[in-house]
Formats: sequence, C-alpha cells, structure tokens
Amino acid sequence: MKKEFEIAGYAVLPLQLPKTSSVKAATHYMYLRAHEPRNPDKDTPRSMFIANVPVDTTEAHLRHLFGPQLSAGRVERVHFESVSTKKNQAAIPQALLGGGVSKNKKRKRVTTDELESQLEDITLPAVWDRPLQKSGAHAVVVFVDQPSMEASLKAARKAARKVLAGSGAKKIVWGEGLDEDRVPALGLERYLNHSQAQYPSRGELLRTVNDFMTVFEQVAEARKREAARKAQEPDEDGFVTVTSGPKLADVAHEDEARELIEKQKKKQEGLEDFYRFQSREKRKERQNELLRKFDEDKRKLADLKKRKGSFAVSLLASLCFSVIH
Amino acid sequence: MSSHPVKRRRLSPSTHNASPRPRISESDNPATRPGSQLTHGSKLQKAIQTNEVPAVSINSQGTHNATAEFALASGVYKSSFFKLQMDELLNELRPNYDKHFARLQETLRQLKSIIEQIPEKPPQTAWEAEKELRSTHEIAVPFPEPRPGRGTKYSFTYAKPTNINVVGSLSLQNGIKSTDPLTVDLAVTMPSAIFQDKDYVNFRFFHKRAFYIATVAAGIKAAAVKDLTIKFALQDGDSLRPVVVLESVKPGHLSSKVRIRIITAIEDTLFPVSRTLPMRNNLRQFTADESASEGATPFYNASLRSEATVALYHKYIHSNIRKCESFRDACILGRAWLRQRGFGPSYQKGGLGGFEWAALMSLLLEGGGPNHKPVLLKSYSSYQLFKATLQFLAGRDLTNPLALFTAEVSSPGDSPVLYDGKRGLNILYKMTPWSYTLLRREADTTVKMLNESRDDNFDKVFILKTHEPMLRFDRLVRLPASSTGQSLQDLKSYYIIHRVLITALGDRARLIHLRGCSTGPWSVDTRHGQKTAQGYILVGLLLDADNATRVVDHGPAAEQKEEAASFRSFWGEKAELRRFKDGSIRESLVWSDLVTAPSIITQILSYTLNRHFNYTGSDIKFVGDEFDETLRDNGDGIVLYSSPRFQAIHDAFSSLQRSVQDMDGVPLTTRHLAPASPLLRYTALHLESAFKVLCGPVDIVLQFESSARWPDDLVAIQMTKIAFLVKIGDYLQSSGAASTCKVGLENVSSKILNNAYLDITHSSNVLFRLRIHHEREQMLLERHLKDKEAHLPMRQELAYALSEYKRQFVQAPRLTQAVRTLCTRFPLLSPTIRLVKHWFSCHMLMEQIREETVELLVARVFAQPYPWDAPSSIMTGFLRTLQLLARWDWQQEAFLVDFGGLDKTVMELIRTRFSAWRKIDPALNTVSLFVASDIDIDGVTWTQYEKPSKVVAGRICTLAKAAMTMVPEIEFGLDLKELFHASLAPYDFIIKLRSKPLHKASTSPTTSKSADRREGLLASGHTLVRSFVRDLQACYSPNILFFHSDGNPGVVAGLWNPQILQPKAWTLKMAYSTSPANLENIEDSDQVVINRPAILNEISRLGGVIVDSIEAQG
Repeated sequence: MKKEFEIAGYAVLPLQLPKTSSVKAATHYMYLRAHEPRNPDKDTPRSMFIANVPVDTTEAHLRHLFGPQLSAGRVERVHFESVSTKKNQAAIPQALLGGGVSKNKKRKRVTTDELESQLEDITLPAVWDRPLQKSGAHAVVVFVDQPSMEASLKAARKAARKVLAGSGAKKIVWGEGLDEDRVPALGLERYLNHSQAQYPSRGELLRTVNDFMTVFEQVAEARKREAARKAQEPDEDGFVTVTSGPKLADVAHEDEARELIEKQKKKQEGLEDFYRFQSREKRKERQNELLRKFDEDKRKLADLKKRKGSFAVSLLASLCFSVIH
Repeated sequence: MSSHPVKRRRLSPSTHNASPRPRISESDNPATRPGSQLTHGSKLQKAIQTNEVPAVSINSQGTHNATAEFALASGVYKSSFFKLQMDELLNELRPNYDKHFARLQETLRQLKSIIEQIPEKPPQTAWEAEKELRSTHEIAVPFPEPRPGRGTKYSFTYAKPTNINVVGSLSLQNGIKSTDPLTVDLAVTMPSAIFQDKDYVNFRFFHKRAFYIATVAAGIKAAAVKDLTIKFALQDGDSLRPVVVLESVKPGHLSSKVRIRIITAIEDTLFPVSRTLPMRNNLRQFTADESASEGATPFYNASLRSEATVALYHKYIHSNIRKCESFRDACILGRAWLRQRGFGPSYQKGGLGGFEWAALMSLLLEGGGPNHKPVLLKSYSSYQLFKATLQFLAGRDLTNPLALFTAEVSSPGDSPVLYDGKRGLNILYKMTPWSYTLLRREADTTVKMLNESRDDNFDKVFILKTHEPMLRFDRLVRLPASSTGQSLQDLKSYYIIHRVLITALGDRARLIHLRGCSTGPWSVDTRHGQKTAQGYILVGLLLDADNATRVVDHGPAAEQKEEAASFRSFWGEKAELRRFKDGSIRESLVWSDLVTAPSIITQILSYTLNRHFNYTGSDIKFVGDEFDETLRDNGDGIVLYSSPRFQAIHDAFSSLQRSVQDMDGVPLTTRHLAPASPLLRYTALHLESAFKVLCGPVDIVLQFESSARWPDDLVAIQMTKIAFLVKIGDYLQSSGAASTCKVGLENVSSKILNNAYLDITHSSNVLFRLRIHHEREQMLLERHLKDKEAHLPMRQELAYALSEYKRQFVQAPRLTQAVRTLCTRFPLLSPTIRLVKHWFSCHMLMEQIREETVELLVARVFAQPYPWDAPSSIMTGFLRTLQLLARWDWQQEAFLVDFGGLDKTVMELIRTRFSAWRKIDPALNTVSLFVASDIDIDGVTWTQYEKPSKVVAGRICTLAKAAMTMVPEIEFGLDLKELFHASLAPYDFIIKLRSKPLHKASTSPTTSKSADRREGLLASGHTLVRSFVRDLQACYSPNILFFHSDGNPGVVAGLWNPQILQPKAWTLKMAYSTSPANLENIEDSDQVVINRPAILNEISRLGGVIVDSIEAQG
C-alpha cells in the first residue's frame, strides 16, 4: 500500500536537524508542491513551492538537498520570502520615487522602466553574510527545467514515504555533507562578521551613493521629458491641455489650501455674536454640552464601578494593602 | 434643660413600635435628665426622620431628575464627575445602620439591664477592692500606674450608673465602614456621689474610674452573656482610661464585625472646668519628678475633662447634624481622608479620629475664622465643608492657641490647641507637634490637589492609601522601646527623642515623625503592662534633598560662648573647633562621605541616638540606605547625576557641538546638534566602559539648515545622508575633533528607514553615534501614506518608517531635553530612574520595553507627586513608581506625564488619541501601554510595535504588585535583593549562554583574519548577545517571546505564545515551524502543531558556541 504523506495538498518531507552541543537532534518538516501562483509566468512550470523552510536555509542548502541528497533535479535559483523579488516589489519604488509622477505607466517609454529597475538594483553593501529566514517561511525553487522539478518532487515524496513509514531508511540530514566553504558559518562567526560588515569601507559606500545618484538623476530627467511630451500629446478628443508653467507638486497644493482655510477662519473671527440667534444658539449649545458631559461622566462612573468592583472595596483593598502596624 | 432639641433614643423598648424603622433608642443627655427618656422619644424621632429626608434624597441618585442633580453637581462641587464619584463613595462607606441596630438592639438592651443590676458596693480601700475583684471574679483592676497601694487614703465605691447610653458614630450615624469591626460605644455615666471634690488630682479620679470599670466588667462576666468575650482595652491608647470591650466569639448572633465598647462618663459639673485648663498642674505629689519642670499637665487634664464631655459633645455634634444637612457626609469624607493618611484617635496614631473631626467641624461652624466668624456655613455642601475644614487646618497654625467662646487660653509646649470654651476641652489634646506638622502638610497637599483644575484627583484624595511609611518617608528608623504601659511616660519620652532628632538633623530633614505602637485589648484577669510586648518607635524622616548629603555642619562661632557650650554638650566629642575659609572659627561637625560609610543621615542618627539614649548599632534598624547601595553596586558606582562621569559625557558633547558648527567641506550649515541618548540625560544605568572607549554609543541627532537641494525622494534622501555622513566624518577626523569616524549601516532590509549613522570616537574617548535628521522625510512619508492605492505591506512599512522617524528625530531629542531639565530640578530623579531600570533589567524586561518608557513612568512620580511631595530619596521614588505600576489599569487608562505644559486641553487631546487607539486596536496587538506627555501627545511613540506586548505589560504590572506586597516586609528586615530577584520558573524554556564565547572562538581554527576583528568585538561583549537575541526575535516573533537583560546576562528566557500550542489546520500564514499533528494518520487531517524540538534545535544552531545549553521547562 502506498501511503501519501500530504498536508493540505503539500508533500511532507521530514528532515533531520543534526544534534548540537546543547540540544538533541530533531525532525523538521518541509512542505513541498509544484508552484501555482495566481499570475503564472514563464518560469512557473519549472518552479517548486516550499513552505516551512528552516530559519538557516540558504540557496546552497536547497541545491544540496535536491542535488546530492535526493539526487533529483538541478536548481537554477531560489527566491526566498524575505528577499523581495523585483516583481512583487515593483510597486514600492514606483510610488516612492519622485513627487509628481503620474501613476499611468502605460505611456512611459521603456527606458524609464529600465532605468528604474537599474536604480532598484543599486543596494547598500550587505551587512550580514548569511541572512536568516523567518520561522515558517516559504521559498520558490526554480529548477533548470520542468522534468527536473517533477523528478525532485517525486524523489521527495519517495524519501518521505521511506522515512515516515519507518522502514529504517536513512534519514535525510539537513545540510549534511554540504561543503562548509559554500555557506558562511552561523553562530559567533556570523556575528563577528556582521560587526565588521556593518561598517563598510568609505570607498564602497561612496561608490554606491554615486551610482545611485547618477541613475536617480537620469530617471528624474527621463520622467521630466516624458511629462513634457505627454503634455503635448492630444487626448482622445484631439485636445491639448494648455497649462501655465510647471505643475505644482502636491505638497505645494496642500500648503496653499491650508493657508486659504486659515485666512477664511481669520475673516470670520469676531463675527460669531453678530446676531442674537447666534448667541442664543451658542448658549444652548453650551448647555447641551454640559448636559452631555454630565451624562458622559455618569457613564464613566458606571464603567469605573464595573471595572473596580466598588469604591469601598477598593478602599478596603488599599487599606489591607499593607500590614497594619 | 429638658427641652434639648436632640435626637434621643432609649435602650428600653420604645412606645412607638409601629415606627417603620425599628431601632433602639438612646439618649445623649444622660447627665442631666436620667428620667426623661420615656417621654419625648417619639416626637423627636419623628423630627429626626423628617430631617433626614432631604439629606437622603440629595445623595441617592436617581431620585432627582437629571437637571437638578446637574445644577447641584456643577456648582458646589469640584466637578460633576468628582461629585458623582463622591456620592458613590459615600454610599459605599455609609454603614447600614438599620441592619446594625436591628442586630444589636437585643444585645445592648441585655447589657444595659445587666449593668443596671450590678449590686452597689460599700466603700473599700484600694487593697480590699482589688483583692475582692481578683478572688471572686478573677478580674485584675486595670489601675493606671502608679497603682494605688495599701497607703491609699481614699476609698472605692460602686453605685448604680446614672444612665447608660449609646454614643458616638453609631448613634450619630456618621461613621464609615472599614476592615476594623464597627465600634459601638456604650457610655456609662458614673454617679457623682462616688467621687470627692479633690479627686481630680494625682490619678485619684482615674483609679476610682478603673475600679468602676472593673466592677462593670465583673458584672458582665458574671452574667455570662452568650457568645461575648470580655476584655479590657485602652480608650484612644490612653492608659489612664481603660475600657471594657465586648466582642462576639462567633458570627451569627452578633456579627463578628461589631465591637461594643463600654466607656465611662461623668457629670459635666463634677469638677470645675478651671481645674482642668491646659496650664494647670494636677500631679502634685510628683513635683520631685522631672515632669514638674514644666509644671502643667495638659494631657492628664484633658484626659480627665474629656470624661465629663462625653455627653456634651454627643449632643453638640448631633445638634450640628440636624442644623447642617451635609454635616454627616462631610464627617464620612473626613474620616475616610484621615484613615487613608493613617490618622486615628489614639495619640500614637496622631490623635485625630472621626470624633475629633466631627467636633472640629462643629466648632468651625460657630467660629474659628477671622473676627470670630465661622469658617463653615451650614448651607455648605459636604464637599465644601470638607474642603474648608482642610483649608482651615492647612492655613491656621494652631500651635499658636485658638480659643473659642472664651478668652485667651495659654498652653505649655508646642502642641496644637483648639480650645472649646463652652465644653472646656482642647479637642486636639492628643496631637503631638510632629503629628500636627504631618496633618498640616497632608491638609495642605490635599487642598492643592482639590484646587488643581487639571485633574479631579479624587482617587488620590480618598482612595489611595498614603500612610505606608516606606512610601511616605524617605528614611525610616525603628527604635526598640518597651512600652511602659503609661501614656504620660511614653509621651514624655517621645517628646525627648523628637527634640533630640530635631537638633541633630536640623535642616537636613523637612519633617520628623514619630509613631509608637499601641497596645491591643488584654484579658480581664491579667494586669495591663504585664505582657510588655516588644514595642518600638518608628521614626519617619522627610529629607531635604539638597541638605541631606552635606558633609560639614557649621555650628556657632567660638566667641558665642553659651551656644558653643550647648553645641558641645549636645554633640560631645564629635564637635570640633575648626577654622573655615572665610576666616571664622566655628564649632563644626564633619561626617564621612566615603562610599563604604553609611549615609550621612544614618551616621548622624546612630551617633546622636547612641549618645543621648544609649542605643547601640544593633538596636536601631535603619531603612532606606539599602536602595542607594543597590544602585551603587549595580550602576557603575554612580548615584547622583552630578557625578563627574556624567559630566564628562556632557563636556564631550559640548565640544563636539562646537566642532560641527561650521564644517569645511560639508555643503550645508548646521542648525542644531541635539542629544538623544539616556547617557546625555543622566538616566543610563550603565556608563558602559567599553574597550578603548570611555562610554557609548551616545546617540545624537544632527539637523542641517533647510535647503532645496535635498532630493524629493525617500530612498535618495537616505543615500544623500550617507554622503553627508562620510563628509562629516572626514571633516571631524581631519580637524582632530574625533580620533576615528566610521559610517555604519542599519535597517538595511528597508530602503526608507534611516539607513546609516556615523560612529564618532571623540577625542575625549566618548563614542557618539550621529544620525542626520531631515525634516522633509516626515512630509514625504505622510503623503505616501495618504495614497490610497498603496498595498497593505507597503503601507505598513510606511507607517513603521513614520513612527521610527518621529521617535528617533523628534521625540528622542525632545525627551532628552525634558528629562535632563527634570533631573536637575529633582536631584533624586536620576538615581530613581536608574534603580527602576535595574529592577526592569533584573526581571529580564529590558528587551521588551524601551528605557524611555521606564523614564516616563518614573518622571511622573516626581512631576505629579500627589498625594505626596516629590520624593527625596531613592526608596520613596522607587517604591512609588512600583506602586504606580501596580495600580495602573493600563488597558483602560492612559498614562500622562507632565513636563510643565499638561493642561486640560492637552489632556483631552491625549485621551481622545487613547480611545482612538483602543478602538482601532481593541486586542492590544500593537499598542498595549499608552504613555503620553505634554511633549508627546501621541502616547505611543515609545510603546508601539509591541514595546511591550500585552503579555509583558501584564507581567510588568503583576511583578509590581508582587513587589508591593513585599514592601512592608522590607521594613521588618527583608533583604532588598528579594525585590530584584527574578524567578526563571514562569518561562517555557531557558537558553543559557556561555559566559566567554570569545575565548572559545580564539581556539577555533578560523582565526586567520579574526584577530583584529575580535579586538573590536571584545569591546562590546554583550552587543553580540544582543544581536543574537534580536535575531531570535526577528525569526520567531510574535510566536515566541524572548526575555533578556544585562542584569541577567547569561540567560535568555523564552515563552511560547499559548495560542499556537494547540493543533490547527495548516495555512501558509503560520509564522512558525510546524510538524503534522498526527503522523500515523496523516491523510485524515490537515492539522499541524508547533514543532518545538526543531525550533530549539534551530536556536542552538543559530547561536553556535554562544549557547551553552537549552532547557525546556514544564
């Protein structure tokens, strides 16, 4: 009988975590299935979705797992949950960049997009030599081709069956046999490296900043050109909107509006008691306000009572609070 | 006399049983009209009942329509909410008199008839009388000392009492509920016939009275009333006036909450009033004694006089209750107020109880004001009566005697005098100078609280118990004093001690308070004073923070012969003649300020107490210094903010501030360099002396003059900042202001958070960490947040970035400024904050709560100290902070700190924000504690994003509560370490860390390039551990909570989130490692459960050699 070890459609792959100086060995469970994203792309057929990866997972670990350990497919690359891929993050820099950029991307020339992605690629020097995953995180493994993905999934299922059925098969040990030079060490070494890496050299920093600023200026330039061109283009009805001078940024608009409101307020000052009905209304309002406040107080008290039991009780409690001398 | 319009109740069954409220009736005019009780009971009772109607209807809610109540509430009370709370309090405190009457009626009637049937006794000598009572009734006559002996000439007689009445709070209905049993006073008026004219001298009256009481006790004992135990006790702690106390053995017949006290009274006219004026001496045979030096015996006289005024005052207070409808409620308020401040009727407790309060108010209704005008008006509301009485107490110094209805009364000594000429008694006769000073201070504080428009302070006036000595006084001294059982003797010795302490401490103490211990009831067959319990005197000191630590005391100049002599005789060999810088030659005292020596206050006290009273070191228990020592031991040896080490950091900062003013090569000019670190506001617990660096990193914030050249983009701003930091570093290094500068990166996972800082090792070896503040960031962040199209994770990131921006660049400098100012205003604030931080650290909470939050918690104790004054010792500051935490209902209340600008509108704004937060986050997921101040009305700056989470917030309050229950034990010698000791038991697993992981690393083979690296890291051994803990939090939050603190460096404790321990259906969103719940039957369910062994294994791998062992508990 073939038993399928599955959870919610995912194959369960048990992995043995080796014992360390302070704890015993333990079994970790990874959940795998073919990648089925909502918006598939050309890489989807050869991708595998893995949930619940160990926190110390690296690309090397997964290559090692599917390569030497399961002897199945070859891994091309791995996308981790914590590392933002360009696709799903594209919206962020879009919105963050520049003040008055229109959200209509359709009309942009390709060069702007290219420049932006270039800008996106410029990052500060890494401060960790080995980033960690959040517990329970997932990853997408892209294999070289679809058969190799399918073979890997199959191999994983088979291995799981063997281990879970308790047929005495050799357990798959996480990271066993992985060349130590291929992954940076954990523990003390990692923190020591970090304490150095968080202070990158002056040159490296300046290079990054310069690269970024150069591209940034190009992007800004490109955008400006685009905006200018857009203004010249006739719309669907064949009209060209004529504007005087450069468009004000949103912020300036806000400031202006605020000023206007202030002005309006100032104008109305001193006119509140002009008519009798105004002062009458005002008085009435004040009275209502007081009454409302009184009701509110009452409610507050009831609330207080409910919370603290009763006053006397709290009084007594505070009395009992300390030993009577 | 027979037409007194007074409420009268009789003990005998009344003739109007049809009355809807069955109650026993009693008379208050026993002395004058013994036979009149039967006649007028019904008429007057009716009068009383009609009189009660308005009083009741005002106070019971719901009987009036809202507007009437509202009108009442808005006018005569502090605020309508105050009034509502007060009504509630009054309702809760008012005992149910009908119930008590119904239950007590039978017993009281029975007692009355028993006492009336005690047979009369012929005259006996003291010896005979004592012998007879002992042999036939096994009763020891409670004669006050000196006991009458064989030589006593006068004889002792017993005759039937003139009458027996219920007096006091029960019949006046002005008492309050309390944990103590309800006391019912049964006044037995002794017939005048058994006394002689001269009995007021030399204890003769009191001896006869004691005999009378003993005979009554014998009679009750013989009658053997069921379920009642009979004991002797002292009335108001006064050994001259023993009384009989009856308590029920078991609940049922009489509630265990009731105690009947049989007190005595005499006819008003038995002894002339002139004999008992305060200046008279009535203890003539003891002229040889030193008491004669003063001559007058005010306490004795008043004690005697008060026997004669029992009925007078009862009547008087009652007439005022009838005249002034809120009198009763004001009495209740007064009693509650006094009780929360530890005042009681006995002289050991201050000599001001409910009776004295009522008498005081009665007198103030008739006079006491300027030109003999009354202080109180009968139209006042209860709140007005209460407040005006307090105002009178605070404003009028009664040590300058005040006499009503009579000409001037002179009084010996410095005790307060409020002499009631009509009844011939100083109603404050039991108050001592120190209890009076304390009373005035309390009254003054309360009046201030009531006048404060910002807060209603109801809680602090009536609910909060302020008399816990360790919270009230800065230092406590416990002196052994075996009570002599004689009030006069005890009082005299208290006075002497008090005087010595006042001379010894001078202006170091603002207040010196003494409290003796009172004796409880004793069995009728033993003599009082035979079982002299180990008594003590508790001395409480309020220190003057500026003078308390002065090392040298200047005495009188050598030329002033007399003063110098008395100085010498007081201080003995400690006094030295010294020449001072200004050329004067003075007597002086020099105290030790060595770290190893006890505090100067302790030195002075132990020296003077030893010199004048022969107390040795082991006799005296000092409380208060331990807190200073704990801080010194755990806070790098620094106690005061004026320490040179704090000063050094400030100097370095000022020098750096000058250096950055104009920097060559940096294109923008500096506007402001602001401090933003606890090290620059005197509140850092440790001034970490790291490797090669004096201390640090000290956070500072640099702001440039605004410029249009900044890019209008968040990511680009961060990049520009880096460029600036590099430039600043270059300049500082080249100008020699800094020895090294390096740019560090932080928050690299986000592009819009602050990405970089500059570590500046200043030439004075202080490490500064500089960040650039660019005010445009806020506007950009806010604008992006308004953009509705942004998707959720991005909005969250933006919101987080905005809160980080405000915290780091706006609030941190602002708080630093405010706390620094407050620290210089209150010298004890800095040490208190640091000790509280140590407490948090010991309980491994510092990773969970920001230290700024802790600072704000403590700051409130100093900035809004009510109902006390601002603390003048670490002890009071520390304990009051814990008490504040223990009492803080953080889920429902915002915590408000006043840095000088907190007024009603600001409070309103803060409260609105608080309720908004509670509305959008009712599960307290991101904001648990809400701590706002007038400089930060958002209130979540320091507490948002689970700092602390609700679990930890609850735990903090629980710990504070637990600590508060231990406080009284500290006074009795509990080791202070207990307060700072954290139990590891409540945690789910404990990660033990290796104490020296770096040594281990040095032996590992990968040391090729790590030699220089390690050098840098040795500097900050525990930053490494902190990085590890942060990693753990990042990987496992919110499903595991990690606790770690410098106070407990070798341990990281963990708690599983209890919600994830149950098996659940698996989803992608689970942010923790899981294993299938049921491996055997896996296809049946999608249930998974947290994989704890795997997680612990991961932790161990992450830590590597840092982790020594991991233990799962429970």
